[in-house]
Amino acid sequence: MATRTDRPQWQRLLDSDRSYQALTFVLFAAAWQVYGTYWGGLLVPTFTETAAAFVRLLGTAEFWDALWVSNQALALGFACSVAIGVPVGVLLGRFRLLERLTDVYLNILLVTPMAAIIPLLIMSVGFGLLSRVILVTLFAVVMVIVNVRSGVRQVDPGLIQMAKSFGATERAVWRDVLIPGALPAIMTGVRLGLGRAVTGMVIVELLMVSLALGGLILQFRATFDAAGLYAVIAAVLIESLVLIALAQWLEHRIAPWARSTQKRKARR
Amino acid sequence: MIEITGLTKTFTGQDGAPVHALGGVDLTVRENEFLTVLGPSGCGKTTMLKMIAGLQTWDAGEITVAGRPVRGPGPDRSMVFQNFALLPWATVLDNVAFGLKLKGVGKAERNERARGLIAKVGLAGFESKRPGELSGGMQQRVGIARALAVEPEVLLMDEPFGAVDEQTRRLLQEELLSIWEANRLTVVFITHSMEEAVLLGDRVVLLSARPGRIAEIVDVPLDRPRSSDIGGLERSREYVEITAHLWERLRDMHEEHRLERAAG
Repeated sequence: MATRTDRPQWQRLLDSDRSYQALTFVLFAAAWQVYGTYWGGLLVPTFTETAAAFVRLLGTAEFWDALWVSNQALALGFACSVAIGVPVGVLLGRFRLLERLTDVYLNILLVTPMAAIIPLLIMSVGFGLLSRVILVTLFAVVMVIVNVRSGVRQVDPGLIQMAKSFGATERAVWRDVLIPGALPAIMTGVRLGLGRAVTGMVIVELLMVSLALGGLILQFRATFDAAGLYAVIAAVLIESLVLIALAQWLEHRIAPWARSTQKRKARR
Repeated sequence: MIEITGLTKTFTGQDGAPVHALGGVDLTVRENEFLTVLGPSGCGKTTMLKMIAGLQTWDAGEITVAGRPVRGPGPDRSMVFQNFALLPWATVLDNVAFGLKLKGVGKAERNERARGLIAKVGLAGFESKRPGELSGGMQQRVGIARALAVEPEVLLMDEPFGAVDEQTRRLLQEELLSIWEANRLTVVFITHSMEEAVLLGDRVVLLSARPGRIAEIVDVPLDRPRSSDIGGLERSREYVEITAHLWERLRDMHEEHRLERAAG
């Protein structure tokens, strides 16, 4: 590690995670271009065609409307997941009885293909925003609960004992030990939940109500506009990447000590 | 200062069989005394200390501190932990001020007092670092400062230097002695090191293996202050004799324990 700082700045820049990511992206795009050109046919457009379609897509009002409508469900559903998932996870992590009672159901929820619930949802709440919000919540909330729960459980019991030895009340233990101790895991849960929420948002639009971004995908499929289809998928991908990066940034912002302990893990 | 009478504790082991941790301990800790407690591993040293701290219940017996029976943790006692038990997300300053915060001391006052203690344990300039950025020895200095910050009457130390390397341990022992020589708190110090027990203590309490009982109390007639010349003390006749005696007793205990296990 010591030699790394001695190298000139351009070398250090070149050695950063970003440049490796850029390199793999260029390789990926090139391979895609070659494949699309020679073997793609109707189904796989080339990278450049997709990029052009993407730019065209950004110019249409239709796309921005779709993005807006989709994100309503995403934002509301994700907010619900955090609002429900964090307190529930904290309670389950602290009280073993609650955890025992609910463990099975959480596992069921974790492995159930949520798409199977969609017909049920339509029958009970109809096609509106509410059913989309509920589905996004169902997708994301389990992830949040499970991560927060394990975060609270992982808080060192020695710290709780220490706080008690200095006269901490149960409330003070929560405020000063449990919540800050679980914060890194809470933020991880929130980030992973966000990923699931995006999945839920697209799936519900594809399977339930052909509308917004999912609707656009179906529409391009119907007209065999493969480049357009890929462009919408790319848009969804980019949005989720941006959101995840944002969540990661927030995570490091809120819990910087977690990052410094991770760094010490042996890596080559 | 601390009166312990007839203290017993039996845990239920993992296989359901009872584990006799303490089998009737009677002990008086004098005011302003530095008492070290030594014993084979699993003799209930730490259990006893946690009981004095009010963190652990017992089956029979009584503990009083300055005449008041122990019912739980209290501001008259504070503890230093073997694994430091620092809040990893909090700065050195916030860690040292933590006990004061729980006592409801206002921010300005507790930070001022914490700063004073940080300087006292030789960590001035590290106030805004987090525990992860410090060495083990420095972390335990934080632990000691945190315990002193609440101005206890009794300092309870649970193998505080067990997790640091030999050289750091030496430095910490010297510093603890010089802090103690200045304020003369009542200290109960658990250790598994005979050398440490003799070097620091006015008296060494030797606990026997399960069930923990007091096997012997050894007076340490070494002159104080000791902080300035630990090396000289270690060459003194008294030091050598006491440690040799303690080792003899401990070796017998280990031997007995081994025979018992072979028989049982």
